[in-house]
Parts: sequence; structure tokens; C-alpha cells
Amino acid sequence: MSSRALSKFKLATGMLCAAAAFAAAAPAGAQETLKIGVIASLSGGGTAWGQGLQRGVQIAADHVNEEGGLKIGGKTYKLEVIAFDDQYNAAQAKTAADRLVNREQVKVIFGPVGSPGALGSLPVTQPAKVLQFVDGYAPSILKNEWKGAYVFRVNNSNLEFSEPIVEWLRKANPQAKKVGMIAPNDATGQVAVPLLADAYKKNGFEVHTEYYERGTKEFTPLLLRMMAQKIDVFELNSNAPGEAGLLIKQARQVGYKGVIIQSGGAGIDELIQIAGPLAKGVLKYDVIDESLPRVKPFITLYHQKYTGLVNGLAPMYYNAASIVFEAMRRADSIDTTRVRDQLERMDDYDSPILGKVAWTGEKEYGVKHQLLHTFLIKEVQDGKGVVKASITPQPQQ
Amino acid sequence: MFNSAVLTQVAVDGIGLSAIYILIALGFTLLFGIMRVVNFAHGAFAMLGGYALFYLYGDWGLPYLVAAPLAALVVAAAALVLERFVYRFFYQKMFQSMIGLLGLDMAIMYLAVIAWNAEERSVPPGTEALVEVGDLVFPAQKLIIAAIAAVALLAFYLFTHYTRYGRAMRAAAQDVEIAQAQGVNSSAIYQLAFFIAVFMAALAGGFYAQTYALSPFVGEPQLMIAFVVVILGGMGSIPGVALGGLLLGLANSFLGTFYGSAASTFVTFGAVILLLIFRPWGLLGAKEA
Repeated sequence: MSSRALSKFKLATGMLCAAAAFAAAAPAGAQETLKIGVIASLSGGGTAWGQGLQRGVQIAADHVNEEGGLKIGGKTYKLEVIAFDDQYNAAQAKTAADRLVNREQVKVIFGPVGSPGALGSLPVTQPAKVLQFVDGYAPSILKNEWKGAYVFRVNNSNLEFSEPIVEWLRKANPQAKKVGMIAPNDATGQVAVPLLADAYKKNGFEVHTEYYERGTKEFTPLLLRMMAQKIDVFELNSNAPGEAGLLIKQARQVGYKGVIIQSGGAGIDELIQIAGPLAKGVLKYDVIDESLPRVKPFITLYHQKYTGLVNGLAPMYYNAASIVFEAMRRADSIDTTRVRDQLERMDDYDSPILGKVAWTGEKEYGVKHQLLHTFLIKEVQDGKGVVKASITPQPQQ
Repeated sequence: MFNSAVLTQVAVDGIGLSAIYILIALGFTLLFGIMRVVNFAHGAFAMLGGYALFYLYGDWGLPYLVAAPLAALVVAAAALVLERFVYRFFYQKMFQSMIGLLGLDMAIMYLAVIAWNAEERSVPPGTEALVEVGDLVFPAQKLIIAAIAAVALLAFYLFTHYTRYGRAMRAAAQDVEIAQAQGVNSSAIYQLAFFIAVFMAALAGGFYAQTYALSPFVGEPQLMIAFVVVILGGMGSIPGVALGGLLLGLANSFLGTFYGSAASTFVTFGAVILLLIFRPWGLLGAKEA
């Protein structure tokens, strides 16, 4: 080594040592970091959902950090969101849960979305007493061998909304007799369709069902098959926005003129974006009324940070994360049992998007961990979703 | 259900599907036929073609007949950079190209997620009109795509069989060293073939986005379609692409309508497996010595 190179090396070493010493001398009262886990589909066809989830939680965490952090038990925590991809499948969700619980040592996980991932991750999170906040329709997400102890569902499932929607549809279309459904052939479709079909049958409809593999883009053969049954109502059930949009577009393109409704999934904008003018008149379950004053600040925050459409899961998970952070504050602890107990008593909390928190599910799932909230039925008019009805489902007695 | 109206609707739908399948597979078979490159990034170029059309036609409002070829041209021209710095290292290296280009495919796909988000969007069709003949209803856009696919197929065939550059391409495909000895500039020929292949992929991607939807992930199903069509028809065979695309489109339409989605997928991939076992060079491909 030449003398010039040697002196450069000494200088660099000296600077490193100084930096290390400075870091070690940082004030002892600095914030601690609280890691918040996210399991979401961040690749593949479910990415829009996963991004919605991740962004909703991130905005809520940023909001807390900007206000100085989460003050619990005399400490102030800076929230750090750590997200892992589950690729919308059970095996990857389990791997993601393993990493978050065992390597990152998180106490709280938001996600995944969809029954396959939720069911895949529970065997890791529940024995470890890690709080998990999921969105999937399978009843066994809450009604399981761990008695749903540390898992909450933060969105209505179709057990909560199917019957009220079908009752509303029956009143609006008394002449309709036959309903056709085209559903994904996975845990989500297989759970959603029987519950929805039961609701339709109770209201005097005949039900015709077809299944397809996720990723399918060409639905015309299935639509022709369904139309041959002379259906009056086309129910889009648990289809992702992309698939629902294509089903609407292709149904209208092969001449289907009857009622189209989607009982499930949040967010109507993506569906309109894909089906375009052919989405006119489509009815859709939704959870967010963007025109409400309580929702607007979130939409503004979202657009300050991200581009593109606001996926319906973003406000839902922003809402869920806000409830959880408030529960931690009130429990004055990050102990998951104490936070869970606090969450169950949060009926007085006015959550930012959905208003007063209401937990239900004791009768259906054996545990009161199902968030019950008012939902909307929107109709596509002039390229926008217009609120047609607002329904508050009643907890089962 | 097997009445004439449904059968006609199914046949029309099958031909519409076939047209898109053929366009997607043409470029894929060309790259393999000439350069022995299994282009796993084919779907990514198709996806980029969709975004180019989205901006040129859907956003900027250029006339459709200008926007569609221009979108494909833009993607093909930009892709020449990749030809120089990536593809050139994989020519005549079939197995290495599979892995290398799979990586390229993923890189392009997730750069697209960063650039355009993961949401699905729609590219407006060239025409919103529906063709109604008795009980038969289908979008006029399908007719446009079928016509363009037929023209592209014919032009492609004529180019490779009756032009100097086309014949040079085929010569390079048969034996690159002998072709070079006869004065064929293989680098230029490879570049031309690459440009045409990406142009076709991007054109197909635009039509695919108009027919279905557009997102960074639309390349994956298109890659799968290209694979199945080319295996059916025979790697490197242009008439094989036409036959493979037609068979696959009609089979998907008929089987999907009468026996459901699962039966259609099962029979399609079952046929591909049987073909790979008993006739691996495909229906119209050349058996390698």
C-alpha cells in the first residue's frame, strides 16, 4: 500500500470510528421502534389488494409517527411497518408469518387478504399469541381450533352482508327468478358461493354456478353457458375487481342485458376502470362513501403519498390500524392479551373511516372478533359509483 | 344448449380468441426459430405494448390506426437497447436464455409496478360497436383484431419466404455459420428478427389489453399462450403458429362453453403433454436430426 493510500485508509477509519462513537453517545431517551407486520399480496394478480392493505397501514403508522409516536407505558414508540409478500397463497402466507413472528418478533400483523393466506398464517400467529387482523370470508378464520383468540376480521364477511343484500335486491327486482354466478375456484370462491347461494335460495331464486381458475381472462365461454340458463341476475360474488370488470365487459359484449350485481369486495372504481361504459347500471357492494367528510382526509393523505386509484382495502386497513393503535394506547401496553381485551371493549371508539366500532360474531364464530359495519350498495351512473342504499346489518341474536 | 345460435356464437368467439393467440405467438416463434432464444420476457414486451397503446390512444387520443402500430414501434425501438446489452449474449444458447430472460421478465414486470401501480386499467377499443346478426352478438373490435392477425400472418410469411432479408433470416435459422460464409450479416439479421418479434409482441399486447385489461401482470398469461401455441404448432414454424393458435382458440371456446373451464384447461394442457411425448417437434415443426 502506498503512503498516500495508507493515509486515505487511516482517514476513512478515523471517520468511521467517530461516527460509531457519535451513534453510541445518542441520547438515551430516543424513541424505541415498534415493528408492525403486514402480510399482503405484493406480487401477482392480487397486488392491487396487497398494495391497498400495505398503504392503508403505512398511512396510519406515518400519522402516528408524525404526531410524535405511540406513547405507551412511559415509552414512546416509533412505528415501523415491515411487509412480506404472500403471493395470495397459503404456503407463502405461512412463510411470511414465520418471518414476522420469529425473526422480526412482531406482536401485531395486518393481513393477509383472502381466505387462503389467512388460513395459512393462523397456525403460526395464534399459538404465538400474535394479534392478527385479516380480511377473508372463510368462517374458520374466526371459528377455529384456537377459538379465534388472537385474530380479528376487520371487514364484513359475506355471512354478514349476503342476506341483507339479497333481500334488498329481491325488493328491487320482484320479477327476477334465476341468478347466475361465476366464481374463482379457490378457498374464497368455495366459501363465498354457498353462503351467497343460500341467501338467494331463501329469497326464492334459482341459482346456477360456474367456477374458473384464478388468472382467467376470457370468460365468454362460461358466460354463454350461463346465459343459456336464461338468468335474470348475474352475481359477481367474490371476484377480484379485475375479474369482475372483465366479466361485466364480456357479459355485455355477448348481449347479456339483465341485472348485474357484485355482493362482496370493496371498491367500485377499478371495476368501472376496466369495464368502461359497459359498467353502466351495475350494482356493487361497497364500504366507503368518498363524499363523507370523515373519509375525505384519508383520500387526501393517500393522494399525497401515492398515485393511482385508492383500492378499497386502503381505507379499511387504515381504519383497522387506527383502532389497534388506539387500543394499545388505552391498554397502555403492547402485551397482546391486554391489547386484545381492550379491543373487545372498544365499542365507544369513533374509528376514522367507519365510525363507532362494533364487534360481533359470538353466535356465528364463538368469538366477538368480527367487525360489523354499515355497507353501501352503489350503482354505476355516468362512470361513477352512486350510493343507492346504505344498509346496517344486524348482529345475529 | 347445442343449438345453432350457441354453436355459431362459440365459433365466432373461438376465432376471435385464435386471432389474439396467433399474434402473441408469432414473435415468440420467430426468436426461437432464428436465434434459438426461448424468450421468457415475451409477455413483458406485450405488456409494454399495452401501456404504450394506453398512452398513445387512450390518453393522448391519437387516431387508432396510427396509435396501434406506433405503440408497437416505440416498444420495439426501445427494446433494441436490451437486444444490445442482454439478448445478444443469449443467441444460440437456448437453456441459458430461459433463465436469463426469466430474470429480465421479472425485472420489467416489477419496474412496471413501480411506474404504473398494480391496478388494472382499460384501454378503449378501436370501436365500441357490437355486431348483432340474429341471436349472434359480438364486439366489432374482435373483427378488427382477426383481420389484423390475418394480415400480419400473411405479411410475415411473405417476408420470410420472398424477400432478401427474410430469406437471409431463414438461412441464418438453418445454419448460421454457412449463412455467414455466404455473406449474411448475422448480427444485423438477428437485430432485425428481434425488432420484428418485439413489434409483434407489443402489437398483440395492445390488442390483448383492449380485449381484456391492462396491468403489469398481463404478460404472464400471454407468455403461457405463446408457449402452448408454439408447442402445438411446432417451435419456429409460422404455419404451425397459425394452426396452433386456431386449434387452441377454438378448443378453449368450445370446451369452455360446453364442459366448463376446468375441462378446457385439462384438455388443452393434456394435449400439450401428449404432443411433447409423442411428437415433440409439434404439428408442423421440423424434426431435429
